[in-house]
Parts: sequence; structure tokens; C-alpha cells
Amino acid sequence: MKKEDTVKLISSEGFEFVVDKTAAMVSHTIRNMLTSPGSFSETQHGEVTFPEISTLILEKICQYFYWHLQYASGKETEFHIEPEITLELMMAANYLHT
Amino acid sequence: MSSQKKRNFKIEAFKHRVEVDPKYAEKTWKILEHAIHEIYNHNASGLSFEELYRNAYNMVLHKYGEKLYAGLVTTMTWHLREMSKSIEAAPGDLFLEELNRKWADHNKALQMIRDILMYMDRTFVPTSHKTPVHELGLNLWRDNIIHYSKIQTRLVSTLLELILKERTGEVINRGLMRNISKMLMDLGPSVYQEDFEKPFLEVSASFYSGESQQFIECCDCGEYLKKAERRLNEEMERVSQYLDAKTETKITHVVEKEMIANHMQRLVHMENSGLVNMLVNDKYDDLSRMYNLFRRVPEGLSTIRDVMTSHLRETGKQLVTDPDKLRDPVDFVQRLLNEKDKHDKIVSSAFNNDKTFQNALNSSFEYFINLNNRSPEFISLYVDDKLRKGLKGVSEEDVEIVLDKVMMLFRYLQEKDVFEKYYKQHLAKRLLSGKTVSDDAERSLIVKLKTECGYQFTSKLEGMFTDMKTSQDTMQGFYASQAALDIADGPTLAVQVLTTGSWPTQLIAPCKLPLEILGVCERFRTYYLGTHTGRRLAWQTNMGTADLKATFGKNQKHELNVSTYQMCILMLFNSSDRLTYKEIEQATEIPAPDLKRCLQSLACVKGKNVLIKDPMSKDIAEDDSFNVNDKFSSKFFKVKIGTVVAQKESEPEKQETRQRVDEDRKPQIEAAIVRIMKSRRVLDHNNIVAEVTKQLQSRFLPNPVVIKKRIESLIEREFLERDKADRKLYRYLA
Repeated sequence: MKKEDTVKLISSEGFEFVVDKTAAMVSHTIRNMLTSPGSFSETQHGEVTFPEISTLILEKICQYFYWHLQYASGKETEFHIEPEITLELMMAANYLHT
Repeated sequence: MSSQKKRNFKIEAFKHRVEVDPKYAEKTWKILEHAIHEIYNHNASGLSFEELYRNAYNMVLHKYGEKLYAGLVTTMTWHLREMSKSIEAAPGDLFLEELNRKWADHNKALQMIRDILMYMDRTFVPTSHKTPVHELGLNLWRDNIIHYSKIQTRLVSTLLELILKERTGEVINRGLMRNISKMLMDLGPSVYQEDFEKPFLEVSASFYSGESQQFIECCDCGEYLKKAERRLNEEMERVSQYLDAKTETKITHVVEKEMIANHMQRLVHMENSGLVNMLVNDKYDDLSRMYNLFRRVPEGLSTIRDVMTSHLRETGKQLVTDPDKLRDPVDFVQRLLNEKDKHDKIVSSAFNNDKTFQNALNSSFEYFINLNNRSPEFISLYVDDKLRKGLKGVSEEDVEIVLDKVMMLFRYLQEKDVFEKYYKQHLAKRLLSGKTVSDDAERSLIVKLKTECGYQFTSKLEGMFTDMKTSQDTMQGFYASQAALDIADGPTLAVQVLTTGSWPTQLIAPCKLPLEILGVCERFRTYYLGTHTGRRLAWQTNMGTADLKATFGKNQKHELNVSTYQMCILMLFNSSDRLTYKEIEQATEIPAPDLKRCLQSLACVKGKNVLIKDPMSKDIAEDDSFNVNDKFSSKFFKVKIGTVVAQKESEPEKQETRQRVDEDRKPQIEAAIVRIMKSRRVLDHNNIVAEVTKQLQSRFLPNPVVIKKRIESLIEREFLERDKADRKLYRYLA
């Protein structure tokens, strides 16, 4: 995978998730970060730090990105969410505008 | 994690942020304010989008949205003020460029700011009914830059100045113009319209009003139209290059009004170059230009049409009433056809085949063709000429073209029955003398007349053709029969049996035929009446022809092709050398006018004078005498002796035809009246006249006075009666 096609998402604990840009852009917030005209540091380095999102949640989020792409292309499966992370996950979703 | 879920939840802040730092909002805003400054200073590369977004997000979450929004407005306004100063300070030429550059900067900054404040845009703005960030940015730009008094006037005047420069032929930076006008459009249609379009249209109107005044003083019509067209195209191109597409109709409207509509009458009537001149000289390009330009303005086309119509009527009137041009009917009709061709071509090539123009053309022709009551006769004569000789060796398609053209003129005629009358006469002459060039052409014309006027119109004409055909068969039968055997040595006879009624024959007393001929004729009569019982034969000696073998002085042999009358005269000279006019008249019993004509053609035409007249003079007098011209000679063996016939009808003949036509119309009018009354039962006078006119329109235009007379005659014969209460009302009596 080329570096330009991926983006590194970093959780509050410092875990790094490397995902496709197309997947990351499922989030409107991340899409704006990466496409905004001025060169913000995120665009330059290809990595985004989320100091308020835990690893556990970010992982789930990355899973969701890929699930979403599949779902959009017609593969209709269920996305399982453990009840105990629901609230945190939703707050992150609101933040990421997903 | 769809949008539905989050909408119904009240999102609470993260736990560890619950105890809010009182200076938190202030601090966070400082960070964001700093970032906005950096963005405007093109220094954004060091900023973290995530951090800024998070800060804005948190501010909104902690209900500091109001503060964030107000701060944004203040900061942005401050930057725009700075920009306006720098734009204002830009020297003359660079003003627009500076403005354009700052606009680009602002736009880009605005984009970035909107992105980091996206959360505010998404939640705070709709709930508190604020203007979204992007629109806010545009509004602030509009209020602080475009509507800043020092910039506003300068901007408009600079733009208009540049456009004026371009109109006078200079090259300007169109890209820049495009950007600026795009900016104005982005700021909303009202900004573009108020701040640019309106003054632009006003300035254009006065510019073109002045220019057109100047052009019209010094240019002729064609040149003026060229200039107007060029201007129009320039304006359209300008719009497509750098203005809003919606402006096109408005600016072209201005040009049309100033350059065309205001000068329409003057242009059309311009002496030596106006519409009439173009028509006369077939200036297709100019005409087409005029058509296309005038089409754009109200009443433009009707102006052209009116002038064309009156011009056509004028020239047409001259054409049909000039006695000089009436001398030769063929030429006369040819002239009409040429005129029609010419204008047809103009309408098709310059006026886009416009239906209304075609109609105007047709109505004009109809108008002036009927000004001359000899037109039906002349058109028939033209056909006659074409079918006798004009179409010899012409391909079938060309024949069709000529015939179609004739039909077109025929359609214009109001008195179609007069044409029919003449056509019948001419056709009869052609058929009997065997002069017609092509049977196909004759028939094709009759088919055309039939489609135009119906069966009734042509049935007699078709009858004539049938007679010709049956006559051929009859003659074959006659010569194959016993009757002909006895006369094998005698003269050959060719009889055409014509049905009375189909042919325009008048009952005239036959002349005295020479004995030789009489014998053959009697035999034919016996044969014919033997095969067809219950018929009557009458000889029409005024229509036949004969071939005579003659021997002159020095044993010169010739075959003379003459009419029956002429044959009778010449046969007399077999038994005597010298005859006086009186003697000839007695011996032949040919009616005097015909006799004079025959003698004239026998004695007075140079090269064909088989008789010598004493005394020598042009005209035949009652006391002239004649003898055979022994010295007659000719290069040809066959000599055709024509009859001096006036091709055109003479005045008395014309009167006679007229009378016959009027006579024929009477039963037609009566029939129409009866038809109408039969269905209506009761009708008043004016309505009858209108209905009758409508019914007969396709054949002729009945005169109301004549109709009245016919009604009276019908009342006398008790077809109709006047209503007892209302004298204007007629009742049908079954």
C-alpha cells in the first residue's frame, strides 16, 4: 500500500492504526482534515492524533469504517457493538461526524 | 452510528471535563483566534486540524457557541478591513488584480475556517438560527469590501471602463474580468445585478444609442446592419466569456432596442440602400441579416413584411398594367414567373422560408395578378405557347417544373372559370391542329387542374382527349370499311368527331367545300351514322387543316399545309386564273372576317404568297382580285401557310368571351343559391351573398349585384320567396 493512500490514526494511548484514506474518509471530520485547502499538519504528515479517543473505541471505529464501505457496496451484514462501549462509541461518532 | 441515533441523545461532556475551568473558554478561543490569524497570513501549515476542530467542538459542547461565533465575526471583519485598506491603496490598473487576489485569499481562508468550525456549523448554527460560516464569510466580504463606499464606486467604474475599452477595440484581461464577475455572482444574484449588471446595462444603452446615431448618419442600410450584427455578436461573446449567462438576454435586448428597434423605420426606408433596394438587387446576405436582426425585436418582421408587400404590390401593379408589357402575353407571364421566382428565392434563402412571408408574397401576387382582367387569358396563352413549342426537347422534369409554376399562377387567379374558358379554346386548337408537343405534358397539367379544382372543372377537358382518341379509331375503321374502297384515289380525309359540349365550338354554317372533298365527307357521314345510330354530324370547317399538292409556273412542286378555308379558296384556282374577292366569297361562303384573314395570309405574307393580290397592299378590300403567283418559290418542299390570327383576342372577341363567361356563371350562382337555401330554409340577403361567395371562391369571385339578380330570378321562378314580415329574409320553397 502506498503511503499517500493511507492515514495513521493515533489513539489517546498512542496506539497507531493505519487505514486506507477511503475508509477513514467515511468520517466527515477526517475527510475535512485531509482535504481542507490549507496545508494543516495532518495533511502534511498523514497522521491524526485523537487525544480524547481510547484505543478500544478507535479500533471499533476503524472496523466500522471498513464495514461501512462494504455495506455501501451491497454487502449487508450486521455490525456488532458491545453494549458496554456504546456510549463512548457514540460520543466519538458525534465528534467524528460519522 | 447513523445520524438518527445521535440526534435523540443529549451528548454530555467527557467526565474529566465536568469541572469547567472558568478561563477555559477564553483560553480555547485564543487558540482558535490565533489559528484564524495564521490562516489569513498563509501560515497554516503548522496548525493541527484535529486540535482546532476539537477545541471548537468542545467550545460548542460547553455552550460557548455564541462566544465562538461572535469571535469569528470580529476576527474575520478585522481581517477584511485590513484587506480593504490594501485594495483601496492599490494604484489604478492594479486595483482589480489586488481585489481578485484578496478575494482568492479570503475564499481559501474561509474554506479552512469553515472546515475547522464544522461542528459549530453543524449544531450551533441551525439551532440558534445564525448564518452558516461560508455564507457569513461572503456576507462580511460583501459588506466590508464590495459595499465599502470607496471600493464600490471604483469597482463599478473600473469594470465599465474596461468593457468600454474592449468595445472600442482594446484587448483587456478577460480572465480577471471573469473572476471578478464570478465573485459578484458568488455573493448572490442581487449583488451582481445591483452592483454591476444594472449600471452595465445603462451604460451600454447610452453607448449604443450614441453609436447607432453615428452609424445611421454615415452608413447605408446594409453596412449599418453589418455593424449592428457584429455588435450583437460581440456582446453575446462577452457574456459567454466573462459575465453571467442570464445577462445575455438583457444586454442583447439593450443592443436590439438601441440599434435596431429605434431605427427600424429609417433603416427599412433608407433611400438607395433600404429594403426595397435589397429586394430589387437580390442582396440575399443583407436581406438575411436584416431578417435575423429584425426578428429579435417586436414588430421587426412585420415591418419588413409590410414594406415588402407594398413594394411587391407596387411593382406588380406596374407590371400588369403597363400597356407596353401587355403586348406579348407569353412575355407577360414569363415576367410574372420571373418575379415570383425572384421573391421565392429571397424568401427561401434570406427569410428562412418564413411562412408569414410566403403568405405575404402570395397575397401580393394574388392582389396584382387580378388587377388585370386579362391575366387568365394570358396565362392560358403562356401554357399554349409552352405546349406548342416551348417545351420541345425539354426533359420531363423540366416540363413538370414549368407546369407547376403555371399552376401556382393559376392559384392566384380569382376568375378561374375565365381561365378555364380560354384554356379550353387553346387546348382545342392545339389538339385539332396536332400541335401539342407532348400528350404527357397536357395530361399532367389536366391532372394538376383536377387536384386543384375538382373533377367538374376538368371533365370537359378530359372529354376532349377522349374524343381525339376515339376519332383515331373511327378513322381506322372508316378506311378499313367498304365505304373507303371506292374513294381510294380521292383525297385522304381525317375526321375528328367532337362531342358537342366538351369543345368550345360555336355552331357556324359550314362553308361550301370543294366537290372532291364533299364526296369523301358524305361517305364518312354515311359510315359514321351507320355505326353510331341517333347521332348528328355537323362539319366545323373553320377548324380543320389540309395538305395540298400544288404545281407552280416552272414546274415547281410544293406541298402546301393550309387551313380548310384556305384549301377551299385555293381549290377554286384549279378552274380559274383570276378571281375577285366577291367571287371567292360567293363560291366558298366563308364568313367575311375569316375570309379576309385567309386571303391575307395567302397573298400578303412574304415568302408564302402563293396568290397575288391586285392591287398590292397590306389589307384585303372587297374589290380586290387575286390570281395564282406563278413565280412562287420556296427553299422547302413543304410550305406551311399560317393563318393571320391574332394570338391575343381582339377587343370584340374579348367582350364576347366575357359575355359567355358571365352567362356560364349564372347557372352556377343559381345552383349555389339553391344549395344553400335548401339546407338553410330561411336566410337573409347578406348571408346568402356571403355564402355564395364562399362556395364559388375557388372558381371566381361573384359580383353581389349579379347574385342579387339571380335571387330575383329564382323568386320569379318560385324557388324562393321573400318573407312577408321581413323583406330581407328569403324562404326556400320546396
